[in-house]
Amino acid sequence: MDRMKELAREILAEAKAKGAEYAQCSVSEGEKKEFNVDGGRFSLMRSLFNRNVTITLLKDQKKGTVAINKFDIETVKNAVSDAIAAAESGQPDEAWEYAKEPVEKEYTDGAPECDTDKLFMRTKELLESIKEKHPTILMEQMITEHNSGTEVFMNTNGVNYVTNYGAYTFSLMYSAHEGEKSTSFYGSDITLKTLDKPVLECGKIDWEISMVEKQLDPISLEGKFNGPVILAPMALYEIVLGTIMGNFVGDACMIDGTSIWKDKLGEQVADPRFNMSSEPYNDDVVVPNRHTAEGYETENFDLIKDGKLNSFCLSQYAANKTGNKRAGNGGRNMHVAAGEKTLEEIISGIDKGLLVMRFSGGQPAASGEFSGVAKNSFLIENGKITAAISETMISGNVPDMLVNIRDISKDIANDGNNSLPFIAFDGITISGK
Amino acid sequence: MLQDILTDKKALFADGAHTELRGQNNRTRRAVLLNGALMGNVRSDVSGVSARVYEGGVYGFSSMAEYTGEAAEMVLKAATENAAFMNKHAGIGKPALPKMALKQMPTQEDIKDAEQKLYVDFAREADAYITKKYPNLVSRTIVAMEDSMEKLIVTSDGASGHILAPRSYMYVVLTAQTDAGTPVELFQAFGGSGVFGDNFADPTKLHVEIDDLYEKLMQKREGVYADAGEKTVILDGMMSGMLSHEAVGHTVEADLVLGGSVAGPCLNKRVASDLVTLTDFAHTAFGEKCPLPVYIDDEGTEATDSPLIVNGILTGYMNSRESAQHFGMTPQGNARAWLFQDEPLIRMRNTSIHPGKDKLEDMIASVDDGYYLIQSNNGQADTTGEFMFGVTMGYEIKNGKLGKALLDTTISGVAFEMLKTVDMVSDKVVWVSSGMCGKKQPMPVGMGGPALRCKVKIGGR
Repeated sequence: MDRMKELAREILAEAKAKGAEYAQCSVSEGEKKEFNVDGGRFSLMRSLFNRNVTITLLKDQKKGTVAINKFDIETVKNAVSDAIAAAESGQPDEAWEYAKEPVEKEYTDGAPECDTDKLFMRTKELLESIKEKHPTILMEQMITEHNSGTEVFMNTNGVNYVTNYGAYTFSLMYSAHEGEKSTSFYGSDITLKTLDKPVLECGKIDWEISMVEKQLDPISLEGKFNGPVILAPMALYEIVLGTIMGNFVGDACMIDGTSIWKDKLGEQVADPRFNMSSEPYNDDVVVPNRHTAEGYETENFDLIKDGKLNSFCLSQYAANKTGNKRAGNGGRNMHVAAGEKTLEEIISGIDKGLLVMRFSGGQPAASGEFSGVAKNSFLIENGKITAAISETMISGNVPDMLVNIRDISKDIANDGNNSLPFIAFDGITISGK
Repeated sequence: MLQDILTDKKALFADGAHTELRGQNNRTRRAVLLNGALMGNVRSDVSGVSARVYEGGVYGFSSMAEYTGEAAEMVLKAATENAAFMNKHAGIGKPALPKMALKQMPTQEDIKDAEQKLYVDFAREADAYITKKYPNLVSRTIVAMEDSMEKLIVTSDGASGHILAPRSYMYVVLTAQTDAGTPVELFQAFGGSGVFGDNFADPTKLHVEIDDLYEKLMQKREGVYADAGEKTVILDGMMSGMLSHEAVGHTVEADLVLGGSVAGPCLNKRVASDLVTLTDFAHTAFGEKCPLPVYIDDEGTEATDSPLIVNGILTGYMNSRESAQHFGMTPQGNARAWLFQDEPLIRMRNTSIHPGKDKLEDMIASVDDGYYLIQSNNGQADTTGEFMFGVTMGYEIKNGKLGKALLDTTISGVAFEMLKTVDMVSDKVVWVSSGMCGKKQPMPVGMGGPALRCKVKIGGR
């Protein structure tokens, strides 16, 4: 690590010597150990040794960025020259601003050391226990890995972070099969700090697999109706949270003025029960992001509090461009507060609607209008799940949905990065054949 | 250009095991202007060496972020150890891969690098043109970019070669507002295979394309929601390319077939109307160079075309050397990796339905009540063949004539059912190549097709 710190200092000195008024760099070294299962059997073991250097600098308030993966001084000096040349080719922009307060901190997060034998053992155990407990499930692909490394981040204002990190990640893609019948594929992911217990007992993996098993005999819905839809955590993220972050509160949509929430700070944009925050320091997060890309220390922040828009999710650059405040972090590690009912209680209150497990749709329009296919999903009739469905589309409008929340579950799914409930929304267009 | 420091490492390859050694450099150049502000001004060079070893039916792989002889020896050793670990704990005793003849593929021309100023200036010129001519837009995003893969491949058997594959594009995104204040957006990518300077020598040549994009955006601004339900549609070339890639192509990748895709039980059966013939082309299609030609894959297989559907019958899969052995098929060069640190996966190259005999105008005239769908921004498909594409530009068809433009919508269907409804195929193929296919790793791919008349479900109100 001393070598990485020394390299970072040399980069900053070189940038200054070549005329940059500001420079920052991220120097990182990482390792990955990975096992792959394909078509239900082990296929590959992979071990990677990586390095990355990203240099960003300002010259005459013009910005240039270069990324390389070499540590030798000649390559690094050439990269600084390239970054200077890139900046010189640009235009000055007063909005570029970076962390100014000197800080020196070192963190160690997650599980920096890999227990490779145990990772293999837990992978094998997971594969075997799924085969035994869920015999119709075919594991199309399973990737289990341990990622670890060290990042040195420095800037010319005296900001200096060293982050040592590591985590185990299990990503499963599977479907159920019986004779020639098969279901849509479904993906379960979880990030873990330890391998103390069987992975099938972690998060909602076992429940998700059991739901996919129930989808072997789907029915086709006839016609079109307007009804309530319960979005499971993954679908909630894809449809609602993704649209909020990408279309309403993020850098690009705020800078280009296309956000329909750009003037709604402090206003009611959702049901008062809806609370959405970005929380890298939530206990459920295995590896928090310690600093932003601009060098600021991260902190939790509320995006929507009691249904009111509390903050945008802006970098310092976008904040300067739009006259708003910088957010506490870059918008990872989403947390939506729990409600008061169990999933079963929410289902029991629905006469006719859907439980949508996964969504495959087009990118929502700037207005929040979306449409797509309800995948791995179920029909709810008279308060009960009555059948799996296929070839069913749903469409709606995210801002309208947020004020038409029917129920929020008290069950929360934690995957090591996000913690999200099930939410039922009224007024979704559901169309079958 | 990567110097060949790998060939003399063949002496270190383990006897009896299939071994691949690959040096690689990925280069990216990008300038992003958002409403005139240079938000992105980035150059990236990522290179290193990797090795993969096949033993007992399982692979070991390793990579390092160095391109040196020492690093090559280290990854060879680590990959061999990983293969041994896997063989010991999870090996299935499979024999070695069938031998291929050693062959040296010719080295391609070097890729010229350009200064960042080229990308920034080009983007600024396009932005200045748009700002001056169309001041009423809410926003505009211009991206000038180039990415390239350079690979040096050495294998224990099969072909070896030195590949250079650059591509470059201008992306233009324009946003207007409806009278009600709702933003409406439209996007177009221009460019293709080759370095930026070759594809974009003269900024003024883009002006006509930008004018056309603006005109479509103004039509979309007055657009209507599609009527949800099953409809007769004309899918234009880009949409049928998306269909070829997403809805059919992925289901016939042999690794997904082994994972339970719908194509497994459909081999040699009818999956489409007899008007549909679909091929994953290696480097040449319909007498011309493909948008992203592939001459050799990362397992050392010389690339040839993969016929997938012939006159409506599913005739084959896309394979790696291992899956080809499993299915008793011939590998055709589909195993490709994105970065030096990535292992080869079964990927498409240039996937297209073959052209038919119909004229597009006759196809539109034949539809009483339906849609003409032109452009998509994303697509996904399931291993069941159920697909979804976002539609960003299209028109109503009423009584054989184009009507109002459509607001963003989505279409869906089940590929091997929907393809049986294809009853007209146009005589012109449209290719696109500006996106990335996502499958564990990203990968540049070409996809194309003629216009198709068929039935799909469309989302809307």
